Amino acid sequence: MSKKMKNNTPKKKKRSTLARWFRQTVLRKHDIDYDNPEVIETPLKIVAQNFFAKKTAVFGVVVFLLILLVVLIGPYFFKLNLGEHEQTLIHVPPSNNMMKIPKEMHGRISDIAPGTTFGIGVDVDGKVYSWGHTRVTERIDLKDIPDEVQEADLKMIAAGMDHAVALDTNGKLMVWGNTRRSQARFTPDMEKAQKSGKNWNIVQLEAGMQVSAALDEGGYLYLWGNRSNFDLGIKREYQGNIAKIAFMANEYISLLKDGNVAYTGIKGKGSPFSKIPDELLQGKTVDIAATDRTCAGLTEDGKVYFWGRLEKGENEMPEIDSKIIKIEGGRFHYSALLENGNVVSWGNNDYNQAKAPAQVTSGGNVKELYVGNFQNYAILENGEHVTWGLSGFPLGTDNFGRDMLVRIINGGRVTMLVGAIAVVIATIIGVILGGLAGYFGGTVDIVIMRISEVVGGLPFIPFAMILSAVIGSRLDPTQRMYLIMIVLGILSWVGTCRLVRAQFFAQREMEYVTAAKAMGIREGAIIFRHILPNVFSLLLVSMTLDFATSMLTESTLSYLGFGIPLPTPTWGNLLTGANNSIIIQQYWWRWVFPAVIFGMCTICINLIGDGLRDAMDPKSTER
Amino acid sequence: MGKYVLKRLVYIVIVFFVISFLMYALYNLIPTDPARAQLEPMRQQLKPEEYIRMYKQLRKEMGLDDHLVIRYARWMGIIKGLKGKFDGLLQGNFGYSQTFKKPVVQQISEPMKNTIFINIFATIAALGITLPLGVYCAVHKGKKFDTTVQTMSILGYSLPIFIISLIFMYFFVVRWGIFPLMGSKTPNATYEPGSWEAFVDKVYHIALPVIVMTFASLGGMTRYVRSSMIEALGTDYIRTARAKGLREKVVIYSHAWRNALLPIITSILAWFLGIFGGSVIIENTFSLNGMGKLYWTGLNTLDFELVLAIQMFYTVVSLIGSLLIDLSYGIVDPRVRVNK
Repeated sequence: MSKKMKNNTPKKKKRSTLARWFRQTVLRKHDIDYDNPEVIETPLKIVAQNFFAKKTAVFGVVVFLLILLVVLIGPYFFKLNLGEHEQTLIHVPPSNNMMKIPKEMHGRISDIAPGTTFGIGVDVDGKVYSWGHTRVTERIDLKDIPDEVQEADLKMIAAGMDHAVALDTNGKLMVWGNTRRSQARFTPDMEKAQKSGKNWNIVQLEAGMQVSAALDEGGYLYLWGNRSNFDLGIKREYQGNIAKIAFMANEYISLLKDGNVAYTGIKGKGSPFSKIPDELLQGKTVDIAATDRTCAGLTEDGKVYFWGRLEKGENEMPEIDSKIIKIEGGRFHYSALLENGNVVSWGNNDYNQAKAPAQVTSGGNVKELYVGNFQNYAILENGEHVTWGLSGFPLGTDNFGRDMLVRIINGGRVTMLVGAIAVVIATIIGVILGGLAGYFGGTVDIVIMRISEVVGGLPFIPFAMILSAVIGSRLDPTQRMYLIMIVLGILSWVGTCRLVRAQFFAQREMEYVTAAKAMGIREGAIIFRHILPNVFSLLLVSMTLDFATSMLTESTLSYLGFGIPLPTPTWGNLLTGANNSIIIQQYWWRWVFPAVIFGMCTICINLIGDGLRDAMDPKSTER
Repeated sequence: MGKYVLKRLVYIVIVFFVISFLMYALYNLIPTDPARAQLEPMRQQLKPEEYIRMYKQLRKEMGLDDHLVIRYARWMGIIKGLKGKFDGLLQGNFGYSQTFKKPVVQQISEPMKNTIFINIFATIAALGITLPLGVYCAVHKGKKFDTTVQTMSILGYSLPIFIISLIFMYFFVVRWGIFPLMGSKTPNATYEPGSWEAFVDKVYHIALPVIVMTFASLGGMTRYVRSSMIEALGTDYIRTARAKGLREKVVIYSHAWRNALLPIITSILAWFLGIFGGSVIIENTFSLNGMGKLYWTGLNTLDFELVLAIQMFYTVVSLIGSLLIDLSYGIVDPRVRVNK
């Protein structure tokens, strides 16, 4: 018993300072000995207590630290790609449903057409469904499926960039979505075949950038749509001899019935895709696939050959322990179905589209694979489906198809860095000049105060703009960032200078300064080592508030185009050009999210600054 | 008082020359060569040595080889120009705008009116709201109303003005359609300039920018007025006045208010300058035909004679502002007059 007591008592006393501080400030429990009421607390403790007693200040600290954490650590996870430009993902609203197949379709999938940011599917009853971001233009939404398509018993489906094509069991072809670019204008021979039923036993349906294709069992290929950007034609000698086709961005290739691959478009030898590897011309090709700029051909022995503009790692196929039986292409990646029921994906992995989950890479039970753009859908033996790739953007995308989340996080880092360094520069100048003016007074004071009046009298934003324009025009973006820091620092030291000067006026009359002087300490040392620490607390408050102001100024300059230039994101230039009604209303995510996080950040910094000031000011408790 | 005013005037004139010289020097950092630009079309027809001779002569004629100070004095109109007479800024020659192909004076007259118009409107509106609000909050400090205003005012000075503009645009223009989105007049309007309709149309267009500017300056000013009023109310002479049995109204408005006014006036200077600087953002966001918009255009097209002239305008505005503040300081605080 006594042993236990012995162990317990010292433990209680040894409560660490941190824990005690936590108890006092956060839990608000005081270890005050009420028998002995005269407890002396250090000024710092009182300041901390006052500060944490204010709910708004604590809120500010917590939220600011959270934002700071996200902004400091975030860029390592959300890497910024300055050259990013993705045509198909422009102005996508905040979404997470691009691969979310509707519940009614679960286990009953018969065909899926992955579009750019949406998907269209048909279930075993021939009923059509759509999901994802289906609004392809301002007015046109692919979700508005025409009645005739909804009522029809669909067999096959294809989705392009802004239109969808469906084929019903009677061989009727239907198009909806954007049809302004002749996406629904069938060619005369198609109309004829559709009417007579001859050469109209469609086995493959494809859709791409405003173009579509239907392939008949007999090898007849029908192509229709917008011809301006697409080699939309077939050389006569190949007609009736085609087994499969694959769409690139502006061309297509064909697998012929004799097992060879051919470029069957009108361009012929003029197309870079007509340089087909010899291995695919041996009559042993079984499958073809294409991404935007590359093609792939699969031979009987399971080998894959690539050609085209292989710039995004489309040919970097991993080692495979089984034979490929089917290959599909997305926008910049390929996925292949293996003989053992597994799936492999490779190529560009910007949106995780080449990172197939373990369930399909080693599960061995994949039955069917649908790939398009940045999405992959694998259907398992038991009817369940597995998806990987781009599922959406939590904060939407901008006018270049860039993820707003990535840009906001990286922009925050730039804005905070610029603000912080500008404040440090301003504080150093302000402390030195203010200290000199306040300590020496007289002529030094008059000269420095006149300089500060001139600088303080300059109209801030216009002057910063002209400095940035004149000096910045010869600099690269990184140097320009440093320039902005320096310009902000040089223009905003006046407030700090005045504060320090006023404090020094008061401090230099104090006894400790007289004592220091009497001891023969150098004046520089008196200023910076004796007086400055006494001024530091007020300086901290002004630095906190100046930090918010610097961030505001940087963002304002960047917003006007005279700060950090695009494409480097900052919280200011993310909002550049947001002042038109289309962006304000329709693309609201482009300004709401940066504005909210930036506003939160500056509000929190100001709350912290206010809280600190009130906590340090002995009068504030009286008020 | 007369001596005090004179002193301030001399000081401001000196500052004006210092700033304008700095600006001119900055402007001369830009690597441009008007002589070469003028000779370039003839280069093919001339022999190299002849070209060099002509180039040197032209540089001399244009005065490009002279010292920076001399060129500055010429531009300012302090010494005689190249044509043998005073022709500079002080004589009203602001230069020639390359972008708009007309003299800067003509180009800036209309925008200047607009800018001054909206800034004065916004200043009056903001002062009209913040002064009573700040005093009320100070007198009723700690009450619910005061706490609410305090919290709201943090919002006001933490948000950058362009974000406030976007929020106001969303509600007032896109949602409710009360105000036009942009521009300073209705396109293809048929009214005569100077008529009542023209004025109404102008007010209709600048209403939202002025509201935004007013709103943006509410937070900071209210807090400032409140804190200096609280400071004044906490002093000993207020206690004395109350002890004498003066009515509360007299104590607040006659004793405390007048003393609180001094720090407020100082802060109004910074704030007034901030409003003029801020109007660059507002004018660009709302596409108003003002000095800020013109300044932005000039900087983007590197039309530096225009930019320099506008920069001088901003400098003069800030100097006049500071002079006005000094004078009103003298009026409000008798000690200033006596001491200086």
